[in-house]
Amino acid sequence: MRNAMLLTMCLALAGPALAADLTKEEMHKLLTELDDRQRNGGDYKALAYLEQKEKDKADVVREVMIFRRDSDDKLMLLFTKPKSEEGKGYLRLDKNLWSYDPGTGKWERATERERIGGTNSRRSDFDESRLAEEFEPKYEGEEKLGKFETLKLELKVKDGVDVAYPVVKLWIDKVNHNILKRQEFALSGRLMRTAYYPKWQKLFSESKKAEVWFPGEMRFFDEVEKSNSTLVLMKSVDLSNLDLNMFTKAWLESKSR
Amino acid sequence: MIDRGVLLVRIAVRNLLASPINLLIGGLILLGTLVFVLLGGLLDSLNQAMQRSVVGSLAGHIQIYSASSKDELALFGQMGNFPDLPAINDFPKIQDALTKVENVKMVVPMGISAAIITSGNIVDVTLEKLRNLYKARDGQPSDPKLSGVPREELVLRIESEIAHLRQIIKVLRGDVEKAMADMVNTKSVEPRNVEALARVEQPAFWADFDQAPYENLEFLENRIAPIVTDTSLVFLRYVGTDLDKFQKSFDRMRIIKGSPVPQGQRGFLIADLMHEDQMKLKTARRLDKVKDARLNGRLIATDDELKRFVKENRHQTRELVLQLDGLKTAALVKSLQALLATKETSIDVLLSQLLDTTDENFEERYAQFYELVVPQVQLYRVKVGDMLTIKAFTKSGYVQNVNVKVYGTFAFTGLEKSPLAGATNLMDLMSFRELFGYLTSDKAEELKEIQRATGAKAVSRENAEAELFGEDAEVVAEATPGVIDPDAALAGTGRKLREEDLIRRVYTQQHLDDGVVLHAAVMLEDPSRIDEAIARINQVSQEQHLGIQAVSWQKASGILGQIINVFRALLFVAVGIIFIAAMLIMYLSVLMATLQRTQLFGTMRAIGAQRGLILSMVLIESLVLGLLFGGLGMLAGWGVLAAIATTGIAAPNDVMYFFFSGPRLIPQLSTWPLVVALVIILVVTIGSTLLPALMAMRVSPLRAMQADE
Repeated sequence: MRNAMLLTMCLALAGPALAADLTKEEMHKLLTELDDRQRNGGDYKALAYLEQKEKDKADVVREVMIFRRDSDDKLMLLFTKPKSEEGKGYLRLDKNLWSYDPGTGKWERATERERIGGTNSRRSDFDESRLAEEFEPKYEGEEKLGKFETLKLELKVKDGVDVAYPVVKLWIDKVNHNILKRQEFALSGRLMRTAYYPKWQKLFSESKKAEVWFPGEMRFFDEVEKSNSTLVLMKSVDLSNLDLNMFTKAWLESKSR
Repeated sequence: MIDRGVLLVRIAVRNLLASPINLLIGGLILLGTLVFVLLGGLLDSLNQAMQRSVVGSLAGHIQIYSASSKDELALFGQMGNFPDLPAINDFPKIQDALTKVENVKMVVPMGISAAIITSGNIVDVTLEKLRNLYKARDGQPSDPKLSGVPREELVLRIESEIAHLRQIIKVLRGDVEKAMADMVNTKSVEPRNVEALARVEQPAFWADFDQAPYENLEFLENRIAPIVTDTSLVFLRYVGTDLDKFQKSFDRMRIIKGSPVPQGQRGFLIADLMHEDQMKLKTARRLDKVKDARLNGRLIATDDELKRFVKENRHQTRELVLQLDGLKTAALVKSLQALLATKETSIDVLLSQLLDTTDENFEERYAQFYELVVPQVQLYRVKVGDMLTIKAFTKSGYVQNVNVKVYGTFAFTGLEKSPLAGATNLMDLMSFRELFGYLTSDKAEELKEIQRATGAKAVSRENAEAELFGEDAEVVAEATPGVIDPDAALAGTGRKLREEDLIRRVYTQQHLDDGVVLHAAVMLEDPSRIDEAIARINQVSQEQHLGIQAVSWQKASGILGQIINVFRALLFVAVGIIFIAAMLIMYLSVLMATLQRTQLFGTMRAIGAQRGLILSMVLIESLVLGLLFGGLGMLAGWGVLAAIATTGIAAPNDVMYFFFSGPRLIPQLSTWPLVVALVIILVVTIGSTLLPALMAMRVSPLRAMQADE
């Protein structure tokens, strides 16, 4: 955290001249900071609203509860609305992503490219941030995004790591170090998705003894099907402890009994 | 008048035989007519056979679908894609209007779509079974089949599945060592998974398994199952329909295994060919194919495909070994040792030896495989009576899963081996509607309410950056913790129970009719009046604002229906070339003959022959030539067709079963090729002779005599 503060101060004081010369180490520190500030260390629970718009189709609308235990890298999504989706969910254990449908009573393996609840969001959009762990950064300079000065990084996935998109570009607010824009590319270099993060919220965490940041709003624009877009709104977040045995198939199954 | 005609014909016959060039022209006319009648007859038979296949397997005589559809209906796919058809919401009204149209016998509601059946790898499948057994043992069965099974039996089944699992783990150890040696599969050699494998190889893990079965199952699911990478996926084309009406209308359909879906109930019928080709144990399927091929005279010794099947069976014994538990393996080793008279102890090697088939031992080994090995393994991955989980993308693009019971498999008589007829499965209409994800007004209102309550602001792609990060934008905000209670949000879900209830439910005809469909088959009393029926249906749709369009079976079958038109066009081109050649030669030869006979025509005119007589003489000469050789060509074409019809033409491959509507095409001579051939002959002969005949007619006696001097 001290390093992060130092880096922030350096970047803010030195201005563009220094920023233009971000070293690999500095970029790594920046990514670590981005990850750290979103990580709770304890448990995390949120209620989110998902909305998918597609041309000539009815909107897909969902409410989903997100449960995270960052210390164990565990994640669970549980759909609560509409009625037809109640009780459906996802569970990430180790490197396995499972999806569950109470209608069939079946668990199925899902991949990192799974469209969560039929929207253009991915598991990683709801999970703990692991940028420093999963990607190698490259500095691409500064860019203005609306009224914000941003640092632009290109990230390439490390060998052996399975992510939804292997190449990612980030626009990071120079002052607050929030990711404002993210573009994701396929291995071929084709742009697949553009994401905007126009709201960042923070909440004091007892377990972390510090603030935890989370994106209050995420907007994804599909770059393949240009008329498709997804909105994710975090309606509320709670950082209190969760049940010890919560991240199990049995727990998720029990919610639809 | 008759005397004059007889005289002209006699002159024509005499002149015909006098010139060898006439024989050449006659030969060409004979060849052209023969080809036309023969190929025309074959094409006509092919068209009728294909009509029987398309009409009898899926399309009916006429298909109706939404008039506002941008895509054309293509029941057998259009360049690999499915048409995006708007839903027909008021089917009862349409059905009512159409059944009043004269000649309409029945309207069968339909919806064609595609889905996926996924099942994890062999470890996932075994662990799922084990999980279900434990849940049933603990009084919370999730598999309806296990409800009511006595606890003692469940415990025995658990022990059997655990024995099977331990056998799989032994096989996995070999796989991991091989992968580590080859360094080909980085996922399976992930250190955490290898550590996990070492742990589950220890007897202590299994001794304590029952202490915390669900925890141990999750360990196996998340650490051991990922070592196996061969997850299976089956793509499934299906038609959601009123199954009872379907079976009554498509009378070639028959149940092969199991039974029809009980009237009004939810259920699934798998196309038997698909069941055999994609759901049967690969080794058994290959053996079946070799057996079939040998019955058709092919030999393993000389046929490359059969050699490949034998080689694959010898080398791909893993799918068999993975299905065996310790006890089954020991029993099978013992029987195979006795059968093959060997002391070999490896089950892999023994199975490989059993499956090393030749033309000499095939029948014996085939029977031994089914007698010794098949009872120990699961022959089909989906069996009659199983509950199938079908996953499909709904109209809105999200994934929907539905459980349906497989009641049986079906085929269409004569099309049992056709991959085209055997690629489409049948599902009840209610399950189809669920998978289609049609938004009822209640559901649409619920979604709108969630949207209203959230009050999300719409942002366009074009203005996103300006709107989200403009001058007024505030990115950072403090949050207050909220109360999030899953139990309160999901109180009374009980969705699983509702689904199970749905599977048992019997729907009334009104339920089945009253809902969304995508298209419908219209069966006619008199199929020969199809054009009239299509016109009438389209007229009724306009008059009553039904919003549908009617198309023939041929159009509804998409690219497949156009194949026959392509063949027909090619036939006309080929025959056209032959007749144009005949016409040119005929024209030149008649012209030459006319010029050579200028003196004759002049003399005839001088002794009183009228111009009309000369014209008739030349024309009748050509007509006699055309009709004589054309007639011979027709007779020859008919004769060849009749000869072929005695045995029929065998379908060269399984794909042609559909076009032949069975294993053989029996050609029949229809009248249209004869009529068209006759018209072509008349056009060719008159067309090529008319100009020389007119020239001959105009020869004056004076000019003829001068030419002689």
